[in-house]
Amino acid sequence: MVTSAPILMDTLPKPAVRPPTAVAPAAATFSVPNVPADTTLIDIEQVDFFYGATQALADINLKIDDKKVTAFIGPSGCGKSTLLRCLNRMNDLIDGTRVAKGTIKIRGVNIYQPDVDVIELRKRVGMVFQKSNPFPKSIYENITYGLRLQGRTNKADLDAIVEKSLRGAALWDEVKDRLNTSGLGLSGGQQQRLCIARAIAVEPEVILMDEPCSALDPVATAKVEELIQSLREKFTIVIVTHNMQQAARCSDRTAFFYMGRLIEYADTRNIFTNPANPQTEAYVSGRFG
Amino acid sequence: MSDSTATVAAPAAFAVSKKRLRLLGLTLDDAIKAFFGGNALVSVVVLALITIFLFREGFGFFAQNRQNLRIYRQAGLEYVDFIRAQTDDHTALTRYLSDLRVRQIAFLQQEKKLSLADANAALAAFDAFADQFGSAIDPLRAIVSDLTEQATAIKTKFIVAGDKEEERRQLLAVGKTAEAAAVKIDAVNFSAELKPLLETRTAYLAANRELAQKLAAALDAAPKMPAPEIEARLDRFKDLSRTYIAGFPAIEKNLMTWDYTKPVPAAQSFTAFVFGREWLTASFWQDWYGVIPLLVGSVLVSFVALLIAVPFGVGAAVYVNQIASATEQKFIKPCIEFISAIPSVVLGFFGIAILGQTLRAVSQQSWLSWVPGFPYSERLNVLTAGCLLALLAVPTIFTLAEDALNNVPRAFKEASFALGASRLQTIVKIIVPASLSGIISAVLLGLGRVIGETMVVLLCAGNRIAIPDFSAGLGVITQPVHTMTGIIAQEMGEVVRGSIHYRALFVVGLLLFFLSLLINYAAQGIVRRYRISIG
Repeated sequence: MVTSAPILMDTLPKPAVRPPTAVAPAAATFSVPNVPADTTLIDIEQVDFFYGATQALADINLKIDDKKVTAFIGPSGCGKSTLLRCLNRMNDLIDGTRVAKGTIKIRGVNIYQPDVDVIELRKRVGMVFQKSNPFPKSIYENITYGLRLQGRTNKADLDAIVEKSLRGAALWDEVKDRLNTSGLGLSGGQQQRLCIARAIAVEPEVILMDEPCSALDPVATAKVEELIQSLREKFTIVIVTHNMQQAARCSDRTAFFYMGRLIEYADTRNIFTNPANPQTEAYVSGRFG
Repeated sequence: MSDSTATVAAPAAFAVSKKRLRLLGLTLDDAIKAFFGGNALVSVVVLALITIFLFREGFGFFAQNRQNLRIYRQAGLEYVDFIRAQTDDHTALTRYLSDLRVRQIAFLQQEKKLSLADANAALAAFDAFADQFGSAIDPLRAIVSDLTEQATAIKTKFIVAGDKEEERRQLLAVGKTAEAAAVKIDAVNFSAELKPLLETRTAYLAANRELAQKLAAALDAAPKMPAPEIEARLDRFKDLSRTYIAGFPAIEKNLMTWDYTKPVPAAQSFTAFVFGREWLTASFWQDWYGVIPLLVGSVLVSFVALLIAVPFGVGAAVYVNQIASATEQKFIKPCIEFISAIPSVVLGFFGIAILGQTLRAVSQQSWLSWVPGFPYSERLNVLTAGCLLALLAVPTIFTLAEDALNNVPRAFKEASFALGASRLQTIVKIIVPASLSGIISAVLLGLGRVIGETMVVLLCAGNRIAIPDFSAGLGVITQPVHTMTGIIAQEMGEVVRGSIHYRALFVVGLLLFFLSLLINYAAQGIVRRYRISIG
């Protein structure tokens, strides 16, 4: 799907030399003084990623700030979800995938180093999926699942965390009387918020959200977006979305991907009002994608 | 010109009417429909016919069994069996005494370091006691022996009369009236025939009183045992014996109130089958058709088979579905599925020739003697048959469990991993619980496969028609049994069509049929009810 650069560039408004130059200014914008270097949480450098023989990501350079919401946008198959799933190594579950080049560092630690414990990594980098996927267990058990994995069994602690997480996910009032009923009995939007509650229960530093609202109706979407706003104070959030209004509403910074490359990365306001790259402009104004 | 306008004016017919191509009055579509519908119908009809046939042949059994039980009573066999049971119980007690003797000998030889001769000599008092206890029953035995002959004679007379009657009926049926009239039937006068039998009551009562006295006297004079633990066993023996003696009045009462005219209730022919503890055919005395020994055998073998097959089948399914690489999957799946291609008679042969031998040899290793039931000497038993049946059940359980695991949405697995679960934690806490209903139904269908299997159990279960001795605890699985499927396969070829034995086998078949039906129904029900709603 994602193929060699020349062909994709032919189909685009601007000449083939664009992508590298598009990345460079973005990175430069990033390192300007008003954003001090120590707020960088995730540092992605020159990453190439392959599904078997197919290259999905090429030379990605990106720095994600601590306690900010970063949105990945781009047309289908542009590699934004792939990059997201690299951040907690979920791609390891798919046979034949590999990070061929480059490093992804979180707080300076390369997470693709051989001595990294993937399980520890995933406790620190939680994830919410496109389709809500509560376990076929009770709401209470859904939330405590990650905690029990860590061997925490104190009932009082667990109760407290369940309440805190559900409140954090703005779901407490709706489900407090039926914590022991199945998580599958909730509505779509509630299920997705339950998944968010489940993710924050283990207190990760980063929450990855892979199109969390794509299966939800507008009302449920609005609730989840509100939730994202409240979560930014405690967590670093990376969200992949197809919905540009959503990116504009929720995120602090936005990265635009196209065919496996990072085209532009800047403050969300700039991306939507004053994009540096014509491809970005074409995409955010709805001319393609 | 006018021609051409005419052509234009008359448009081509709107050709949508049905094509009239017909075959035997059917259009092609009808024929195709009839073909497929016919195929479906045939299977339904065949199933119905089989069911009807099973029921028709089977239900005649209950009337015949009632007649069988009636003659048991009328010919006085029941009466004799009251006393026989009493002598049999006494035999069991004397066996306990011989066991006690063996223990004493062992104790004297090992602990007291006596030679065998000395040990035997030391037991002289015990032998005298055992002899006194054992010989006390002799008068009663003599009575039983006499009565047995008398009762058998009455029964034979009755059967001969029945045969004659049948002969006459057949002659009449073909119109040979003269020959039919010549057949002489001696109607059995049970009241008169039973008279001598019942007259032995006084002799029995006297013998019984004497027996009770002798036993009590023998028990009081029992010698001391050389060791406390053997002494405890003797005490146990004394208790058993006193209970036995205390039961005498009840037996006497049974005998005194026994009445050959007492009717056999219809339900008894059913309960005698369902709860009957004896399957005894072609006996000179009385045939019993009790399904319990066969049912227990089938259940025991299936239980052992499942106990082995479930971990292997489910474990292999989990491995192939969740852990194995693609190459491993491609190798393991066909291998396991191939097991079901082995003909069961070949497996049975393997069981007799190799597995039975090997297991017995293993059981006789001294360091394994702690295993319940080990060592054993019967090569063919529940364990051997169970191991082989497990092999047959593994492919069923594996394939269905693998399907069930495959149906667990990938999203569950991802969610679990994303929360920091290891692969093992994900399998144990998410994947297996989510597919549990499918796995349970896989196990149930495996059970159905096992309980209906015939050849392996016929060859390897030992074919002893008796309820195994559950007092051996888990060791019960090293005893030979017979099964419901095995008995049908073994005996169906030899029975007279229409005889009670023939029909009894059909009822066993019916029971199997219902068991399988129940198991399949339960399996489907579980899948339907507990299927997780996805999405």
